[in-house]
Amino acid sequence: MTGLLQTVVGGLSMGAVYALVAMGFAIVYRTIGLVNFAHADVVMIGAYVTVTFFLTARLPFALSFLIAIILTGALGLVIERILRPLESRDLDLMLIGTIGFGIVLESVAILVWGSFGTAVPTPIPNVPLHVGGVIVTTYQFLVVGVAAVVMVLLFLFLDRTRLGTAMQAAAMDRLAATAMGVNVGAANALAFAIGSSIAAVAGGLVGPLLYVSPGMGASIGIRGFAAAILGGFGSIPGAIVGGLIFGLIEAFASSHLSAYADLITFVVFAAVMTVRQTGIFGERTGDRA
Amino acid sequence: MGHSKRAWSLAVVAVALAACGGQLSGSGGATSTAPIVVDLVGTFSGQNADLGGWAWDGVSLAVNQANAKGGVNGRKITLQKYDDQGQPTVGTDLAQRAISDHATMVYGSDLSTITLAMIPTLTAAKIPQITSGQAPAILAQGSSYVFLDSTTSGVFDQTLADYLVSKQRLTSIAMVTNNDAYGKGEHDAFLAELTKLSVKPTIDRVVTPDQKDFTSVLTDVRDTSPKALFIGAEEVETGLIAKQARSLGITATLTGGAPMGTPTYLQTAGADVAEGTIMTSPYLDNNANARTRAFATAYRKAYGQDPELHGAKAYDGMNVFIAAMRKSGSDLSGPKLIAAVRSVSYDGLLGHFKFDSTGLGLHATQIGFIKGGKVVPA
Amino acid sequence: MIRVGLGKPLLLAAMLALPVFLDLYKAHVAVLIMLYAIVAIGLSLVMGFGGQVNLAQAAFFGTGAYASAILTATYGWNPWLAAPVAVLAAGAMALVVGLPALRIQSHYLGIVSLGLAVAFASLLTNLTVTGGASGISRVPPLPAPGIDLTDEYNYYYLVLAVLAGATALGLFIAGTTLGRRFRAMRDDSLAAAAVGIEIPQYRLLAFALAGLLGGAAGVLYAHLVRYVSPDTFGLGVMFLLLAIVIIGGRDSIWGVMVSAALLVAARDVLIGLQTYQQLVYGALMVGTVVFAPSGLAGVGAAVRRRLPDRWPSIPLSLVGVGQGKSSPARAPRRSPAAAGGPPAIQVTDVTMRFRGVLALGDVCLEVPAREIHGIIGPNGSGKTTLFNIVSGIYRPNGGSVLLHGRDVTGRPAYTISRAGVARTFQNLRLFRRLTVLENVMVALDRDPAYAHARYLLGPWSVLRGERRYRVQALSLLQELGLDGAAGELPASLPYGLQRRVEIARALATDPTLLLLDEPAAGLTAGELDGLSAIIRRVRDDGVTVLVIEHNMGLVMSVCERITVLAHGRVIAVGSPVEVARDRNVVEAYLGSDLPLEDAM
Repeated sequence: MTGLLQTVVGGLSMGAVYALVAMGFAIVYRTIGLVNFAHADVVMIGAYVTVTFFLTARLPFALSFLIAIILTGALGLVIERILRPLESRDLDLMLIGTIGFGIVLESVAILVWGSFGTAVPTPIPNVPLHVGGVIVTTYQFLVVGVAAVVMVLLFLFLDRTRLGTAMQAAAMDRLAATAMGVNVGAANALAFAIGSSIAAVAGGLVGPLLYVSPGMGASIGIRGFAAAILGGFGSIPGAIVGGLIFGLIEAFASSHLSAYADLITFVVFAAVMTVRQTGIFGERTGDRA
Repeated sequence: MGHSKRAWSLAVVAVALAACGGQLSGSGGATSTAPIVVDLVGTFSGQNADLGGWAWDGVSLAVNQANAKGGVNGRKITLQKYDDQGQPTVGTDLAQRAISDHATMVYGSDLSTITLAMIPTLTAAKIPQITSGQAPAILAQGSSYVFLDSTTSGVFDQTLADYLVSKQRLTSIAMVTNNDAYGKGEHDAFLAELTKLSVKPTIDRVVTPDQKDFTSVLTDVRDTSPKALFIGAEEVETGLIAKQARSLGITATLTGGAPMGTPTYLQTAGADVAEGTIMTSPYLDNNANARTRAFATAYRKAYGQDPELHGAKAYDGMNVFIAAMRKSGSDLSGPKLIAAVRSVSYDGLLGHFKFDSTGLGLHATQIGFIKGGKVVPA
Repeated sequence: MIRVGLGKPLLLAAMLALPVFLDLYKAHVAVLIMLYAIVAIGLSLVMGFGGQVNLAQAAFFGTGAYASAILTATYGWNPWLAAPVAVLAAGAMALVVGLPALRIQSHYLGIVSLGLAVAFASLLTNLTVTGGASGISRVPPLPAPGIDLTDEYNYYYLVLAVLAGATALGLFIAGTTLGRRFRAMRDDSLAAAAVGIEIPQYRLLAFALAGLLGGAAGVLYAHLVRYVSPDTFGLGVMFLLLAIVIIGGRDSIWGVMVSAALLVAARDVLIGLQTYQQLVYGALMVGTVVFAPSGLAGVGAAVRRRLPDRWPSIPLSLVGVGQGKSSPARAPRRSPAAAGGPPAIQVTDVTMRFRGVLALGDVCLEVPAREIHGIIGPNGSGKTTLFNIVSGIYRPNGGSVLLHGRDVTGRPAYTISRAGVARTFQNLRLFRRLTVLENVMVALDRDPAYAHARYLLGPWSVLRGERRYRVQALSLLQELGLDGAAGELPASLPYGLQRRVEIARALATDPTLLLLDEPAAGLTAGELDGLSAIIRRVRDDGVTVLVIEHNMGLVMSVCERITVLAHGRVIAVGSPVEVARDRNVVEAYLGSDLPLEDAM
């Protein structure tokens, strides 16, 4: 039983990170309709900015974290401007365009920070706590805690504030929203900024867990994206559930056949998607003739 | 459909390629003052980029010193730098490049996997190759053109196992290694040594070189309550494994080979985690003797930082070859050069080099600890 | 007479002579360019032509290479025996990856295929038989009597031969019916099914082709470099292949080759500046998508349009190829429905629910052969839903549909299309990136998917078929007054003409039942007359016609009987006059007692 619980703990902490990445994907997709493969590299940029302020400038982690979120969010506005022409293109062009942009981001990261990467010490002493026979580190608590706070904040924003509601409206029906006086262009830019900020949260949190390098986006990105789709692409609750489930699948696969964890995780993912085509909370949009 | 026009454009591209292709391949016979071309193939990008950097520093220091003294038999050495990006496939391309460059020798690679990938091509072309890799598989290829600039995992691990078991009485040892050529070599060698000492590891797990999350493997390790944890992976990965082990509550002594003697390991794992690590290396201390002190001074002057094992190995390796080239005279063809290398007896920073028929020149290594953020001899 | 442009023989001569001018290393690069081009052609077929987002192409390349390496290096097989096995293994791998494509598409398929590629890499890195992270070295060279295939220059010619074959195959597919069917499927899989294209088979076929080509290149790679390791087939290669295909022009075989040459050569030239090379790649990809989505091929086409047509060519005469033989006007292959046979269509108690909302409830419809039957009703009454069920796009929750007495309830759209049902769509679903002529040609091909075996067994028959389709398509377009627009893309035509093209496409499938969904929407008075004439002529040719319409003038004048739907139920059936006076009908439309004909 403790083995099982230990696996669940591991799965939830990485799952929280995947959930954050998935949320970033989802919010951009539902508002703008853009499938942004460069999102994972924004996570990487967020991680690097946090690390730069934390290790190089030696600011407290919380402050570095906050600065990274704001700066990356601002970067999101710039990225939105660059990727705007892609929003109306065919899917495969959108794919290539955003993948290409991701490669550009990665190259820029290498030019600025080098290709070697950095290990990041945890911002708080990473003490393993014994909770009912299971070991949970203090940092894992922090990760899940921060992720939960972000999710709640996002919900409140989308549901309770005027700006958030406007964004939801723009997501549902662009034309109607414009008719109601919603500035759809601004809503799009805001969605990108929020998505990028959430990416920075994910990046900043995951650094001390793993390793910060220009190529880190690839691995986290594939998993975050898969999680978003698993949960039903475009659905925020779906992104969260998808992320946690993905983390759990991966943790269980790791614990039983660690070498083949990737294989099992993605084959299971493929099977689930083949059976339930639109993901867990996905909308079945019938192709109406 | 206009296929003919597209065909034309392709024809133009083909001709352009040919024009850039330039030279008809001819044999570049070296004249008596033409520079000696040495290709250095190393990992300069990605997670293992420090390895390439150190190799470059060591080799170019040796080359610059030699050139400052007038070169080798009146000829200067030209050192060319190639990045294998940590990928064996790129390594094979670069082996082709070396042939094209008419290189006299190749220094490379720092990763055993890439070294192995390059051997068939270079040996077939009779280009001598000296590598910083240490996997036993390298010498097992049986090529007379391949040399190691330090010693094999077998020697490293024999020294380590002996120290851990016989001297420290640590018989409860867990093993975590990766499955590239180096990690596999470490795994097989260490396991063989433990078996010779009638010790069985408490657990033996394998990870991949790109892995970043070791929670499940380390949880299993923790469950066996080992007193020591042997890690067989490159610098950064070793550091990550060590760090995650401690955060999972594993208190075992960390132990392993050369990678644990590097600043990279210290930085990645963190000073607290690395404290007390037991490792084995032929080069532990820049202050050991006059030769190492001179080297360290020159290194610091040229690169602004203190040298460590990999830089020292590369320096030694290149100097052995420079000595061999001097001995060989005007004929630096493959067969002659490798014979010259084997005839050289060289006292280097790592110890005494005398290459045998298999390509091994150094036969001993030392034990060190990490104390207060520094590597100290046992 | 066939004219062969000078371009191709000259290119061939240049490629044959090239190795003389290259040093060993550059020859190696040239061989790599050709290998990547072969893999990219495969990706172009499945993604550019077939519209399947396949991010696992590098894994097919890897499967071929690893399979060959394992069989020869580890098990000692003769490489020439191992090669076809390895290629088939890659094809099998592609089918596995393609299975999800039967249910999911676009970005969903993208991430699933990418995930499977990651799974494949995991497999390679962990299995002992694949050598783990170290890979497999000492792969033996290909043995050839008298020729040393370890020599880079000799290998060049071998790869050139395979590339020539792959190119020929690619061009052959691209320019003939298989390519057209792929492209139709890509542009609109729903409409493609409606013209009889068996979507699942074609998706799998596209993946299989990608796998076979990737595998072939993989085998050649393994015996060239004679070392395989997981990094050779990872994400980096996948992005390179994507860049090659997109920058070349997604569905252009020549474009793929040019961009392969440029990108791989550029990568080599920039080998010391690896980061900048990545930057340039990424920027190129974004730039292409934003400024030149048709890639180099599009740029080439634009340039060519401005150049005078003065390229030299050699006249060649080939016996029997389309010499003056003009096929007769399209003769319907289906015998027209006999009078007095079973009704053309019999819908019994069909019910359709969407998440609890009743779209159709116990709907019955019976239309005898050769009748022009109207379906009318207020918006939202379920008319198009009925069409969707009859044409196989939806499966009804209850009830049955019989076509000429044959039960087709719940059969897929392409099966029903092949049974003789054709339709147009309320929202126009023409194949956007096919010309008007191609839209019609693709519908003319009534052969099942397995008939494409002809591509290997009898290519000349494929070419003859092309000639036939072209002639028949032109004649059909002429009948409908569209021959002037044959070479245009649908989007460049006025709305009324586009509607007519859709009808032409539907007629091209030689149906016995034609479903027209609001064909009059947006037409001018003159065009309306033309439409009536077309409908009558079609019926006279033996086709039963069902028309959904809101234009009462057309309905009343052309339809022999009318079924009226409201809120998903049939509220009246009868002649136009009867229906116009039916109280229920009037109430449904106007909510009052006024007879419809008075209200018009």
